[in-house]
Amino acid sequence: MALTSSLLLLLITASAVLIAVLVFRPDLTASQGGKILAFFVLFLLPLICLAMGTNYHIERSKQTQFCLSCHEMEPYGKSLMVDDPAHLAAAHFQNHRVPADAACFTCHTTYAMFGDIRAKMHGLRHVYVHYLRTPPAPEDIRLYDPFNNRECLHCHLGARSFEEGAVHTADPALLPAVKANKLSCLSSGCHEVVHNVGTLKDAKFWKGAP
Amino acid sequence: MLSANPFERRLQFSGILLILGLFVEAVCLFWTRPIAFVLFLCVGGLLLALGILLFLFSLVGSHTPPAS
Repeated sequence: MALTSSLLLLLITASAVLIAVLVFRPDLTASQGGKILAFFVLFLLPLICLAMGTNYHIERSKQTQFCLSCHEMEPYGKSLMVDDPAHLAAAHFQNHRVPADAACFTCHTTYAMFGDIRAKMHGLRHVYVHYLRTPPAPEDIRLYDPFNNRECLHCHLGARSFEEGAVHTADPALLPAVKANKLSCLSSGCHEVVHNVGTLKDAKFWKGAP
Repeated sequence: MLSANPFERRLQFSGILLILGLFVEAVCLFWTRPIAFVLFLCVGGLLLALGILLFLFSLVGSHTPPAS
């Protein structure tokens, strides 16, 4: 990300300098070469900067620290460090079952067509609520829709621990129901402790890897 | 500073809008808050889009007499 931002900044600076040349010397465009220069500087370069900038911001918005930069999300970030393997989010984060630098996005995006766009639209709504409305208390924040097993199966489907796990195979009807999203991984009594931000004050926390 | 030639003047306005848009984009690069994304998209993106459109408009609007 640091290299990308440096390159992008270099491109933005170079574009701004070239544009400034044309602003101060518009007569340069009288020649054919000047017209070609104007096309590159006033059309192509800004478009490239805009496209690269949009891509940069979208990638940056997937980072865990980006999500946790709003104070409403602080308890959710704290819940990733709970020292209890029964806490689903914490176990995933601490054992790197999800990329630690994109932990929120990995589970909370929709693995379907336009899922990323949907996640970004939700993010824009969160910014609107944060600045222009009264944000709910962290423990009152709810998902827009019930968590879909598809998001879990994106990684776990086909994994040996999932397909051959003792609890998963004890009932032959369980895995087909989970795969068909008829039995929720989270709310059917199996993996129901996820963030549980309301009970964090009594929790013990992992300090992190040395 | 602004040129008397209407075509060149439009180019200059377009350039000024683009520089402002690029400035907003550069500032948002260093601001790691969700509001930076919104500012980048709504302010920076709008200024850049207006600058590009004004440049395209200046091309369409410029009248060049046909070569004899």
